Amino acid sequence: MMRENIFDWTNGRTFIAGAAAAILLAAGLGGAGTANAASHEIFIGGALSLTGIQAPLDEPGLRGARLAVQAINARGGVLGRNLKFINLDGKSDPVTVGNNAAQLIAEGAELIIAPCDFDFGGPASREAQKAGLVGISTCASSPLYGSVALGDMQFTLAMWNTQMGGAAAEYAFNERGWKTAYVVTDTFIDYTTSLSEFFIKHFENIGGKVIFEDKYTQGAGDFSAQLARMQRKLAEEPADVFFISSYMPDLGMIIRTIRLAGIDLPVVGGDSYDDTGLFDALGEKFGDDIYFATHGYMAPGSAPGMEEFLALHEQVYPDEPLTSFVATGWDVVQIMAQAVEIAGTTDGAAVAKVMEDNVFNFLTGSMDWSSAETGHEPDKSVALIELQDGKTTFLGWTRPTDVPKPDYLIKYLERQESD
Amino acid sequence: MNEAIRFIVDVASLGSLYALMALGLVLVYGILRLVNFAYGELIMIAGYTLYLLSGSPLPWLVMAACAVVAALAASVLTERVAFRPVREKSLTAMLITSFAVSTLFQNAALLFISPRARLVPLPDLFSESIVIGGMLFFVRELLAIVVSISMLVLFTALLNRTVLGIALRAAADNFRMTRMLGVPANLVIGVAFAISGFLAGIVALFWLGRTASVMPGIGLEPLIVAFVATVLGGMQSLVGAVVGGYVLALMTVGINTFLPQALVDYRQAFTFSLVILILLFRPEGLVRGK
Repeated sequence: MMRENIFDWTNGRTFIAGAAAAILLAAGLGGAGTANAASHEIFIGGALSLTGIQAPLDEPGLRGARLAVQAINARGGVLGRNLKFINLDGKSDPVTVGNNAAQLIAEGAELIIAPCDFDFGGPASREAQKAGLVGISTCASSPLYGSVALGDMQFTLAMWNTQMGGAAAEYAFNERGWKTAYVVTDTFIDYTTSLSEFFIKHFENIGGKVIFEDKYTQGAGDFSAQLARMQRKLAEEPADVFFISSYMPDLGMIIRTIRLAGIDLPVVGGDSYDDTGLFDALGEKFGDDIYFATHGYMAPGSAPGMEEFLALHEQVYPDEPLTSFVATGWDVVQIMAQAVEIAGTTDGAAVAKVMEDNVFNFLTGSMDWSSAETGHEPDKSVALIELQDGKTTFLGWTRPTDVPKPDYLIKYLERQESD
Repeated sequence: MNEAIRFIVDVASLGSLYALMALGLVLVYGILRLVNFAYGELIMIAGYTLYLLSGSPLPWLVMAACAVVAALAASVLTERVAFRPVREKSLTAMLITSFAVSTLFQNAALLFISPRARLVPLPDLFSESIVIGGMLFFVRELLAIVVSISMLVLFTALLNRTVLGIALRAAADNFRMTRMLGVPANLVIGVAFAISGFLAGIVALFWLGRTASVMPGIGLEPLIVAFVATVLGGMQSLVGAVVGGYVLALMTVGINTFLPQALVDYRQAFTFSLVILILLFRPEGLVRGK
């Protein structure tokens, strides 16, 4: 299933593995002088939510982060210091998330892991920024998650929705030749709304046509009016593909309803599809002809280090990693470790600089953040996955080109230039 | 013509489920004046029961029966363990208890199962559609209508034709007087919770049957729907709950269908504005209690 242009993670910019190894050596030699600092652990604080509506997104990331800490400590820690990771349940409440981060920082946290969402993760990042620490969200894909809104030491491990929507658009238009799209947008949260927005923008930029965008609200429970409208619109003007931006549980309901009504157009979507809950809900009967852009693929060979991760996951947890959101947590800790190793310190400014200047390559593909002046925009490889007969196949990595920038960033950059 | 039939079927299938949800909620409210905020979690429990049985060789109907029984048992158990000890204290204590029970169930699901969606096994019938007179219908929707209406008929018969039903109605009308006349309070309340749980279990099969999955927070929407429907229909009356359920479904589907595309983002605002408007003119709801 390999397609051209998709497997590009190996020909990105200079990889830092060699550099990291050299610095590891140097750190080992230079470490003798700082025996005092080396005697205590590097404290990573997490404010991920284990309860409430954010829990489905944060719990897998927490799993991954814990595994990474274990793996890194097993090979000797960072700068000769072991990692210590403590997470305080953010309870899906932005205020609690912020307070937890502040508390962890007061107790000595040197790096902060923020929840997988701008609204819930932002407060943790703001506390980290205030304290001069690097904060990384596990998988917030809001284009707001970066240095402009949160500060010059704040990052997100996910591609922004600009890139996720762009990757889906390019896959549909360039790879498959689907020229016209029918879009369904769940307007309940910012993630789904902005993902549709950037899919549509990029799809139209590269020459596609969106025949209609319908709206749905998570929790409404009733898709009948949308279905009736869909049948009417498609009778007037056929479309090649659906782009459906929603999430579980209603995403399952929407796709089931469409398929049940006998409409079998291919469906394209984003990382909210990366959920075995969805594959199970669709089953063999409805889990067909679905393609989505996400963070990675949880099977051997998809990315460097995947085998180590899977082996460790199997040891620690009874079930398989059900989604690549687990990998985002793993990668946050791995990148923190590597960046601290290169910087030789946990000082926020130094670590942030290393993160801006290097390309990282772990389970979720290669990641290259832009500078703080340009927003910490992630340039990240996107994993494409296909669902047929209820089973997933890894299509490979891709990197959409010239995806639209978010409006706030365009204005910000213009202001920078005119100053 | 076809579109009209389509519309009626959509309203009827959604309304039937709404009516059952509302009935389960108002039954307990009528007797205890308690809005049971843990009601939605009964639906969740039925869902997780199906999930836990999904690997078993049992036929689906048996699994479904187990799920309904689980919801019923959970409902009776919460009454016995959580509500009964605080019943004599105050209404507020019971209300807070119902929040506590809801949180407890949700967190138990989060901790012991997963915060992410899990499969609810469905019979093949739920994944099929049939063509009648050139029109496509989902079997699940038609089943929901048939089952819900049978439940309503059964329930009406129970209330009108049995001693237990008369006791229930009497308790809903004037609980203190009913007790004075020798009807055991614990029995009546226990039965009300049992029926409420049973209805939640039935609703769960069809409500979760749309998505084929269950999550810890899944009970919130049915709870809100049931609450709005009962307020709309009239909280003093069982008939009101059913009327409220159908009217709410009519409003939901109607607004969704006929609102101009530019306004479709605000459809919930329209729905609730309409609810407020109705309540302005009929503060006791559409159906007045005695």
